[in-house]
Amino acid sequence: MSQSTASSDWEIVIGLEVHVQLHTRAKVFASCGWGFGQEPNEQVDAVVLGLPGTLPVVNREAVERSILFGLVVGAEIPERCAWDRKNYFYPDNPKNYQLTQKDFPVVVGGKVEIELPGASRNVMGEHKWIRLHHAHLEEDVGKLSHAGGGSLVDYNRAGVPLLEIVTEPDLRSAAEAEAFLRSLVAMLTQAGVADCDMEKGQLRCDCNVSVRPRGATKLGTRTETKNLNSISGVRDTVIYESARQIRELQAGRAIVQETRGWNAEQGRGYVLRDKEDAHDYRYFPDPDIPTLLISRDTVQRLQQQVPENLYDRQRRYMEKLALPYTAASVLVAQRRLAEWFEEAVAAYPANPQGIANLIANDLLRDLAAGSAESSGEGVSTTPAKTVDDCPLKPAQLAALVKLTDEGLISKQQAKEVFAEMFKTGQDPMVIVEQKGLKQNSDTGELEKIVREVVADPAVAKSIAEYRAGNEKAINALKGPIMKRTQGKANPSLIDQLLRKILG
Amino acid sequence: MAEGFDIEHLAKLARLQLTPEEKVLYAQQLNSVLGHFRALAEADLPAQVDDALVVSEAALRADNPGPTLGAEAVTRVAPASRDGQISVPRVVDDEA
Repeated sequence: MSQSTASSDWEIVIGLEVHVQLHTRAKVFASCGWGFGQEPNEQVDAVVLGLPGTLPVVNREAVERSILFGLVVGAEIPERCAWDRKNYFYPDNPKNYQLTQKDFPVVVGGKVEIELPGASRNVMGEHKWIRLHHAHLEEDVGKLSHAGGGSLVDYNRAGVPLLEIVTEPDLRSAAEAEAFLRSLVAMLTQAGVADCDMEKGQLRCDCNVSVRPRGATKLGTRTETKNLNSISGVRDTVIYESARQIRELQAGRAIVQETRGWNAEQGRGYVLRDKEDAHDYRYFPDPDIPTLLISRDTVQRLQQQVPENLYDRQRRYMEKLALPYTAASVLVAQRRLAEWFEEAVAAYPANPQGIANLIANDLLRDLAAGSAESSGEGVSTTPAKTVDDCPLKPAQLAALVKLTDEGLISKQQAKEVFAEMFKTGQDPMVIVEQKGLKQNSDTGELEKIVREVVADPAVAKSIAEYRAGNEKAINALKGPIMKRTQGKANPSLIDQLLRKILG
Repeated sequence: MAEGFDIEHLAKLARLQLTPEEKVLYAQQLNSVLGHFRALAEADLPAQVDDALVVSEAALRADNPGPTLGAEAVTRVAPASRDGQISVPRVVDDEA
């Protein structure tokens, strides 16, 4: 191995195992329900506990959401999948084995497109594809809490459907790992596969990190940091662990293949006390669950539910609708928001940019303000408001943009009308008329005012300057006209009339 | 002697303390069981036998939450409990 000194001489190699709780009502092999925030052990039945005489039966929804995920990432859905027992003694597991898939997972392969941060917020960063090895459907385990000399076990989480998504070692930096998780979460939530609420532990990661001298083809010895429950935890682990490994190698020490934990409060990793022989799981096929045959009809039906890929949509908005990256990236981040935008564009296809700007600036700002209000003080338990929580409809927003484009109201007035629409859900035209905002486009009446203003000796100097060729001098006349019409005059009409009268 | 397994390792994984006599006895018995499986593995079986262990999606369960036991019943079968949770000796992924 070459004696490298600078950290840039090293390449970081990362593989992730992402555990995602699937969006179902019942558990994966038992019929009892599950959900966050229940009293301990209230969501447990005989199958979850593995009591004698019970038989696990696989939840259809859990299988279908797993398949849907596979289709979202363009993976292969094999015709057969099967479950195995992973044997270990630990109190988080009431049966002494976890039902998982070892040799015949439900999803094989696939790849996820990621977007790295750009040079600044309004510049799109580099795109890259990360390959998946497979994804398998297993059961979550119970939750341990430690108090005094003992531990307490709550089995509510045991048996919750868990999709474990395993990447190839394709990630090369903390930023790539972070971008991958953001992209994955967007895909899972937009397809309705999972909610991925990290505060509720619905997405947890194991992070494999190794380093090697740049240019080397052989992978270095890796460590696995387990149970990271946030994207920032994964990012910080990669930064910490890669730096640690480089230091070790530079000091001439070897990397020990080990399982590690992460202390988020202190921002450091540590070696986990290895459960004795924890890696000897003695997998064998579960005799209670027969191999499942997945029909091609099911795969075809689920294919119809695959939403447009996030970045395909972003490219379409930028290329076909000429949206700037800033607006496009904001709209595609939420599927419902993107659909809402498209409904508005369908109602008024002439100005997608005008519609996108109103959504990205005004609508999202007012929605965020509404969420902050309703959650009140302290810890926010109210989910962020979505477009469906406001009375405003896409066609109404489109109508507002159209009114502005036609010059009936100014852009400034449009903001005022928008604020009212957001509160009441009224049509923009109704608000324009109620507030008397309609710009005066009556040429006869306006021409009279323009002539009166032009005749005022106070503006004689500006008129002379304009006639002498100073184009900008004409603007000095517009103010008094606007004032006389209480701001209701159509600015382009004033301009036309002034030029006509002044010759 | 045992073929393809280490009886002491298996005993450790299963949390069993075996006497020297038991080790010999169980190794013989396990060998005998494995012998049956070796015979099955070597048999030339038609594909239908494998298919008998396969089910279609009709065998899946609908995603409808059913009854639960309740925390009281769950903790009643445990040797010790506290506040609706099962109490066990301290097991922590402590730092080494």
